[in-house]
Order: sequence, then C-alpha cells, then structure tokens
Amino acid sequence: MHSAVEKAIQLILSADAELCDILSVTARMSLASSLIALLIGVPLGIWLGSCRFRGRGLLLVLNRTLMGLPPVVCGLLFYMLFSGVGPFRQYKLLFTVKIMVLAQVVLITPIVIGNMESYVSGLAPAVRETAKGLGLGHFRTLLLLTNECVYQIFSAYLLAFARSIAEVGAVSMVGGAIAWKTNVMTTAIMQYTNRGNFSLGIALGLILLAVSLLVNGVISLLQRRLSR
Amino acid sequence: MKKTLAFLLALAMVLGLCTCGASGAPAATQAPAAAEAPAPVETETPAEESAAVDTKILYEADDSMLNTYTLIAVNPEAPFTDADGKAVADVAVNTAGADALIHWMLSQTALDMAANFGMEDYGEHLFYVKDGAPVYEGEIAAATEETKTIRLSTTTSVKDSGLLDYLLPAFQSEYGYVVEVQSAGTGKAIAAAQYGNADLILVHSKSQEVSFVEAGFARVVEGFETERVSFIYNYFVLCGPSADPAGAAACASVKDAFAAIAGGKFVFVSRGDGSGTHTKELSLWPEDLGITAEAESFAAYTDWYTSANAGMGACLVMAEQMGGYILTDKATFLTFAANNGQIA
Repeated sequence: MHSAVEKAIQLILSADAELCDILSVTARMSLASSLIALLIGVPLGIWLGSCRFRGRGLLLVLNRTLMGLPPVVCGLLFYMLFSGVGPFRQYKLLFTVKIMVLAQVVLITPIVIGNMESYVSGLAPAVRETAKGLGLGHFRTLLLLTNECVYQIFSAYLLAFARSIAEVGAVSMVGGAIAWKTNVMTTAIMQYTNRGNFSLGIALGLILLAVSLLVNGVISLLQRRLSR
Repeated sequence: MKKTLAFLLALAMVLGLCTCGASGAPAATQAPAAAEAPAPVETETPAEESAAVDTKILYEADDSMLNTYTLIAVNPEAPFTDADGKAVADVAVNTAGADALIHWMLSQTALDMAANFGMEDYGEHLFYVKDGAPVYEGEIAAATEETKTIRLSTTTSVKDSGLLDYLLPAFQSEYGYVVEVQSAGTGKAIAAAQYGNADLILVHSKSQEVSFVEAGFARVVEGFETERVSFIYNYFVLCGPSADPAGAAACASVKDAFAAIAGGKFVFVSRGDGSGTHTKELSLWPEDLGITAEAESFAAYTDWYTSANAGMGACLVMAEQMGGYILTDKATFLTFAANNGQIA
C-alpha cells in the first residue's frame, strides 16, 4: 500500500502527460453522462412520482429492473449495435467518447428516475394540496414540486456522477480503452491490473478517489447553499 | 464564506486540469516504476528458461517454441455477418491506412527498429526479423482526412511488450496517421476484425490466422504475395522457480520438460484464455494427458494445473507467487523481471 501511495503522489507531481489525458477523458465523460442523465431523469422521476395514472406501477417496475442492468450487458448491446457490422455502423461511434457517454446515460438515467420517484412520491400529496389551495395548474404544480426537491436533485446528481466515474464494464467494451482517446481511469486501472502491475492500479485508484472527493465536496457545498 | 470556499475549490480543480494540459511534458510513466522501492523479488532466473534460448541444440531443432508475428489486412469485401447471421455489406474498412501501416512495418527502417527494440533497456533482442520477410521499398501513402485513423487489433502480449509504443510514434509523426490500438486475447482480437471493428490485425497464432484467411476476411496488400505477412518472431520461454524441482532446464527438449512438470505434478500456470501463448502451451503437453482448451479436459489436474484466464503479466505474477512454471514470451518476461515483477 505504501508504494501505491508513493506512486500516486509521484504521478500527480510529475504531471504525467498520459495521466492528464486519462483524467481529462474521464472528466469529460462522467460530467457529460451524469448531467445528461440528470436532465432526462429528474423531470421523468418527478412526473412518475407525483402523477397517478394507469400503468404507473408497471413503469415503476420496469424502471427498477433497468436500474439493475449489468453495465457489461449494456456495453455488449451497444457494441453489437454500433460495431462494424451492426445496424448503426454508419454513425461510426464505436471507440469514441460519445458512445461511452451514451451507454452510461442508458445505465444511469433509470437510477436517477428511481431516486427522484421515491423521494417525490412521499412529498407529492402535501404539495398537491398546497398547489390546489393556491389554484395552480398542472404544470405549475410540477414546478413547485421541483422547487421543493432541489436538495434531492443535487443528491441524485452526485449519485449519477459516482456511478459514471466508477463504471468500467460498459466503457471498456464500447470505448476499447484506446490510449490517448478513450482510456479512462477505471479502464486504465484494469489494464495495469491485468498486466500484473497492482500497485500502479491502486495508485490510480487513489487518484480517482481524490478527484471524486473534490467533486463531491464542491457540489455538496453548492447543495447546502442553494437549498436553504 | 462558504460560497468563497466553493469557488476557490472549483478554481483549484480547473487550474489543476489546465496545468496538466499545458505542461504536456512527455513525462515518464517510468517514473512510477523507478519510484518503486527496488523490492528484491523472487524472480525466475533466466537460467530456468527453456533450453530453447540457452542451449543451442534446442534453439535450432525446437520449432515448437517459435512465436511468429503476422500482420493481416482486413478485406472490406469479406463475408461479414451481423449478430443474427445475416450478411452485411458496405462495412467501413480503412484499406489505404492499413496498407500504409503494413508497408511501413515491413520497411527496412521499421524492421531495424523492431530488431533493436529492447537492446537499450535490457541489452537483449526481444524480437528478431524473420528470414525472408518481404521488405517493402515502395512508396508509403501519407494520411488524408478519410484515411487518417487506422484501427489495429492486436494481442495483449504484443501490447504489453511495448513494441508498438516504440514503433508507432515514428510512423504516426512521419505520415500523419493516428493508429488506434485495441488489445485483447488472440481470439477476441481476431473476432474484432470479423465484426468490422479493425482495419488490420497483428497476431501470432498460425492456425487461427489461417482460418481467418480461409474464411475470406483477409486480403493481399499491394507489394506482397500473401495475405499473411509474417515479419518478426521471438521465442516462447519456459520459466519456473530457481530451484527448478522438475529439472526442466536439464531436459533434452521442451516437450520433455513439460512431461517432467506433469509427471511431478509441479504447479503450472496456464493463460487459459485461448490466446496464442495458450494455444502454444496446449501443443506442448504430452498427448496422453489430454489437456485441451476445454475445462473438463484438465479437471483431473487442478491440483497442479492452474488455468488462470488472465493476461500474461497477471499470470507471471501468479506464477511468481505460487512458485510455479509458466510458458511466456521472452519480451513480457524480461519486462516483468526488469520491473521487479510488475509490467510497465
């Protein structure tokens, strides 16, 4: 462990070009996928949590099943769809950061939806009553509901970000872990581990955790500030 | 107060990423390896490598230890099929790029570079140029917008040896191409080409290469006569604990060594992943043992035969830990030994 910590510090201080590239690809990918998952998942989650309609139960069960979609299966699916012989080959998305983001969005959005839904369904009845009292229309009720959930939205975002930065199964399949292009922290760790260089793997893991800590710290501060 | 703190942290993050990008020093990833306290690792000494490298008699007579690397360009007219088995047409394959890379790899410059690889770091040749390799002396096309990206599918052994990291930058800077290297076990590397995800492959498993060609996935590159362009080779070596309880080093041939290991039930670590190394290893066991790639075939031997299903580096670490024997390519072993038991 000691050598791993040493290596981690050494790597950071030396500003190793390859490490910086890996970090920047990781940052781009995880920020993009978590933001998109948030933008899609929050409205859907709030809607699912507050509106009562036929088939809601079924949608809920489907969403919960998708939350458990194994990342490697998702990666395999995208690989087959976008591979050189697949139906979407003309988009030439395989082995790019874009398709990694896409695969992650598919994985993370159900989680965001489920998270928001479970919070909102507890909150919704009270807010609806207030809204009725104020004479608000359907859309404005949802807006009011969203406003009440700001804290939870931040938490959902942090969950999405955590999932995306830690994910390895899907991104290694569809991204191919190509050096200087689609190699992210988790795939790099996997590569070094496969080669037997365990302490470098742990060193990278520590750096990953440090980055995660930084992001979580900043967003948590924002969360406290904005949801007072 | 909290707001300023948050802004400061965000600023720190951004600055951090910017300095990383701007510094762009082609700094050593060797830095970690050097920083690693030189732990005295119980490594297999070269004397334990199979006689194929040390004893002259086996070097010449033992073709069974040869490991030849072959480049094959993917044929865009190949009978590609999708997941359902239906034929697929117009699969995008960068033929111009693949041609340029193969031409360059077979040019005298590149062959010399490959032959020299490893001399600086280990004082040993890790690869040898094949006799009669078709040296290419013609024009090599420079990259254009459409042909710039070349997808090369290769094996983990090749990637881990560091040969491509050594050769490709020269090619990329001179001709303007960007080579995207995907590495996986031999079977998966070839499969990637069959799914239309590679423009050319670099593998070292003759039987699988021949099947690839016979299935129509290969094409003949202009300036060469066959689809399979074998250009460099090296040797597999049998490594084991320095005590060598099986007496492998003293055996007359590598097959005898394998028989001795099996007879004495000494721990042997197998790749177990259908890679070129694995295929070679399977061919060296005594036939009556009946060891094949299928798990049932060695179910009776699990007390000594360890099927790891992992990459070469991880398997070497395993052999190191267990004090077992292992078949490896020399390049990976030397890198492993030089780094005190860690690859790269």
